[in-house]
Amino acid sequence: MKKYIKLTTLLMLFIVLISCDDKIDIDVPEAPPRLVIEASLDWEKGTTGNNQTIKLSTSTPYFDTTLNTSVIGATVSVRNNNSGAVYNFVDQNDGIYTIDNFVPVINDSYTLTVIHDGETYTATENMMAVTPIMNPTQSLEGGFDDEVLDLTIFFDDPVDEENFYMVSVKEEGDLFAELETQSDEFTNGNTQEEFFEKDRDDEDETAEYNPGDTINVKLFGISQRYYNYITLLVEQYDSGGDPFATIPAEIKGNCINETNEANYAFGYFRVTEFEQITYTFQ
Amino acid sequence: MKNSLIWLCLLVTATMFSQEKYSVSGTIKDGKNGETLFGATVYLKGTTNGAVTNEYGFYSITAPKGTYTLIVSFLGYENVSKEITLDVDQTVNFEIKEASTSLETVVIEAEESERVNIRKPQMSVSKLNAATIKQMPVVLGEVDVIKSIQMLPGVTNGGEGTAGFNVRGGAADQNLVLLDEAIIYNTSHFFGFFSVFNADAIKDIKLYKGDIPAKFGGRISSVLDVRQKDGNSKNLEVNGGVGLISSRLAVEGPMFNKKGSFLVAGRTSYAHLFMPLIQEIKDDKISFYDLNLKTNYEINENNRIYLSGYFGRDIFDISKFIKNRYGNASANLRWNHVFNEKLFSNLSLIYSKYDYRIVLDFIKLDWVADIKNFNLKYDLRYYASDKLKLDFGVSGITYDFNPGEVKPTDPSSSINFRKLDQKRAFEAAAYISVEHELTDKLTAQYGLRFSTFSRLGGQVLSDYANNQPVVYNDEIGIYEEGEEIGTTDYKKSESIKTFANFDPRLGLSYQLNDDSSVKASYTRSVQYVHLLSNTVSVTPVDVWAPSGRYIEPQKSNQYAVGYYRNFKDKTYSLELEAYYKNVDNRIDYIDGSDLIGTNNIETEILNGEARAYGLEILFRKNLGKFKGWFAYTLSKSEQRALGGNAGGPGINRGNWYNTPYDRTHDFSVTGTYDFNDKWKFSANFVYQTGRPVTYPNGQYEYEGLSIASFDERNANRLPAYHRLDLSAIYTPGKNKNRRWQSEWVFGLYNAYARRNAASISFTQDFDTGVNEARRLSIFGSVIPSITYNFKF
Repeated sequence: MKKYIKLTTLLMLFIVLISCDDKIDIDVPEAPPRLVIEASLDWEKGTTGNNQTIKLSTSTPYFDTTLNTSVIGATVSVRNNNSGAVYNFVDQNDGIYTIDNFVPVINDSYTLTVIHDGETYTATENMMAVTPIMNPTQSLEGGFDDEVLDLTIFFDDPVDEENFYMVSVKEEGDLFAELETQSDEFTNGNTQEEFFEKDRDDEDETAEYNPGDTINVKLFGISQRYYNYITLLVEQYDSGGDPFATIPAEIKGNCINETNEANYAFGYFRVTEFEQITYTFQ
Repeated sequence: MKNSLIWLCLLVTATMFSQEKYSVSGTIKDGKNGETLFGATVYLKGTTNGAVTNEYGFYSITAPKGTYTLIVSFLGYENVSKEITLDVDQTVNFEIKEASTSLETVVIEAEESERVNIRKPQMSVSKLNAATIKQMPVVLGEVDVIKSIQMLPGVTNGGEGTAGFNVRGGAADQNLVLLDEAIIYNTSHFFGFFSVFNADAIKDIKLYKGDIPAKFGGRISSVLDVRQKDGNSKNLEVNGGVGLISSRLAVEGPMFNKKGSFLVAGRTSYAHLFMPLIQEIKDDKISFYDLNLKTNYEINENNRIYLSGYFGRDIFDISKFIKNRYGNASANLRWNHVFNEKLFSNLSLIYSKYDYRIVLDFIKLDWVADIKNFNLKYDLRYYASDKLKLDFGVSGITYDFNPGEVKPTDPSSSINFRKLDQKRAFEAAAYISVEHELTDKLTAQYGLRFSTFSRLGGQVLSDYANNQPVVYNDEIGIYEEGEEIGTTDYKKSESIKTFANFDPRLGLSYQLNDDSSVKASYTRSVQYVHLLSNTVSVTPVDVWAPSGRYIEPQKSNQYAVGYYRNFKDKTYSLELEAYYKNVDNRIDYIDGSDLIGTNNIETEILNGEARAYGLEILFRKNLGKFKGWFAYTLSKSEQRALGGNAGGPGINRGNWYNTPYDRTHDFSVTGTYDFNDKWKFSANFVYQTGRPVTYPNGQYEYEGLSIASFDERNANRLPAYHRLDLSAIYTPGKNKNRRWQSEWVFGLYNAYARRNAASISFTQDFDTGVNEARRLSIFGSVIPSITYNFKF
């Protein structure tokens, strides 16, 4: 909802105006580095979910382009609070910590523990289920622009509970995925839809989706707290300071530093179920 | 409080017992068009007895029995005098003529009170008349009231393309904007590019930045009092203009056998007429229009009725995505009644409404929101004696808030019908204000406003665990929604919560000599309705909300001192003011708050406070071929919101931070030069410290994206804003001796093509993944304009 309203105010601003947009050099403040925990235990429907990865890195000054910030030598483990099972992740010495015998259980509670530089970080999250993706539909009419291809997916929202979703879409060859979130606040119990479309670009004729382009769509069931976190994160990422956006603020995830509270970690410990489809435009 | 009331009564009555005195009263009008004149000076020659006409052109003077010469003086008009014998109360009306030697007297500051009024205690006020406003250079040739007041010290706004204005570091919703007494909730068309006030229908505007008279209440930063013209009661007159963006037409003339007059003014943009011609935008429709109406009827010398109305609309359709409509509507029925020479009254019944509708076809959503209010008020002015004038009155306002209704546009839509809670409230007020000449040099203005605000029932409110709608999550250090433990259903007859406040107002003026004075004032004011907006700019979707169980009324105390001086027979004037104000209960939004479609706003806010202080200098040249002013403001505006009931340190760790309206330096110059009969030139220059913003202090990788991290709120600033505008007005020579009068206005906005940053955004390049800073400038180049105006 919010996304759409934002979008419209932005559109108004851009379309009406003889505005111009250019790249400039500007000095920004520099904060000391902070640990980043990207612990996303995502269980794809129909798989065992045994293989999981956790990534540790540090933050850098905003315009820094050297992104060699991997954190090695940390101790990483996850505990199932319902069964008591503990999963110790293995340091791959490149900032990646992996495991191959993780057992995901829907609605179980998990606790992450990371020990790095003598400080202990913990986070707890429940594993959330997701409903299946139904009939992906290609059309011209959907989306914003009637002259470019778009894809719409559908999924049934359970009526008895509040549900939160994250959708990630990435075209083959793109550098990164686009993230979107949805809640059933306005649409509880209905069939939800989400469309994907790319804007046309005068400089790049193939910017929009064309026949033959392949995209990967993932639908995650997420917790309300993660929904709040990722929605804000995506919103700040997308808007980056436009005058109709909210004032950006520090975004705190769920990773707490037990040793030194002020030195909390960026990132999030999420445990989700997801489904993915790969679609090639006709 | 009781004591001060008694004290007030004593003061008032003490001065009433005096020698045998009589009053002379009446109305001052323009001889050419019959418009009543606001701010004309009427005095008895050789005495200090005098008065300034009120909004309806009424004056009253009381003096000891005797023979006097009564003089009416109004800058730009010929002085008129009349011998009177004051041995009985009497009425003397005047119709005065514009001074005939045109060039010297068609002055910018055509009115006495635009200049410094040395004697009156009223301070922190600026008045501009329509003629002044029309001469200032403007964007795309659209004369703009809201832009013109930004040239005054202490008034700023968020930059081009942002609605509203900020006075002395206050938010836009803290301004009471009145059009013929009706509250206007949104002051702009086109998302802030043009103001809703059609200059052809406006007589004058008055902006109170502080020292707000007791008759006004309900907003804590300022009052912008815009008055529409009454309409020419002598002849039929047509004014019009053709510009790049819009065209205007105003017709006014006598009615009811010259016992009254009417004014109808319309304005519409017409870009949408050409849009179908361009392929890319043929399905789009972007336009605005507004309509002003006014009529009055003089029943007899002591009774006059006015009816005024306004209706404005913005239409914004972008082919398939959105249909968007919004606008204000207002109407006011007034009855002026003069009881006797000493007592003037006005009764008003006012309606105003602001509504907003957005249809998003692609998600099949239809959203409607509005705010409506009725206002009944009765204002009286009692000219008790030559030393004492009293203003008093009562008012009642009913509010109806409909914050939003969401419905599906067709059955296949996945949107469920949903209506946010309707909210109702009633605000009542009574006030008394006294202008009291204590000695020859010292004049005081003291008053008291008592107001109550009842949030009415007829809705369900949520109850929260521990009565905490917002809770600090200690574990991860963020504010979250409180836990809802139930609801309370308030019946329609019930009042959810009632607030009552006494607001004292005090002003003092001490005249140092004929040309200079010092003044001081204290104003306490309270605001019961709030515009919920967590974005930097005011947008049409922002929702108004009343105070109630979870939102406290905003309260402000403002202290100001000033020094005023006229030089060289009032050719130049100087105003120096310093102010300090603090605001209690200024709400702010928790990090990541979501206001759109949120029923329980209380779960998104923390109660905070704000403070602002500054120094303002205004230097004017009032007469001569070159006229204009120079304004400079040095100021600070900050706020904070502690955790309070919600726990935790508060927003921004409980530290003070800059409000978005903080501008350390604000400098502006505006001037006009009458070159000759045909050409007139004018220019504006503005320089302002950049708007406070929050820049990233680092980045990290998450989900493959480079995420910016932020820390202290509003601790950084956009680059400084500056701009030069120029305009030239050409009056053809053939205008002389004919009825059809015309002029051409040529304008250059942003003359040296400065790319002022409306915002700086921090993004990751989609193709390279590298972070960059991008500047958005609303006007990246010079904006030329041409307008043709006519009158017959």
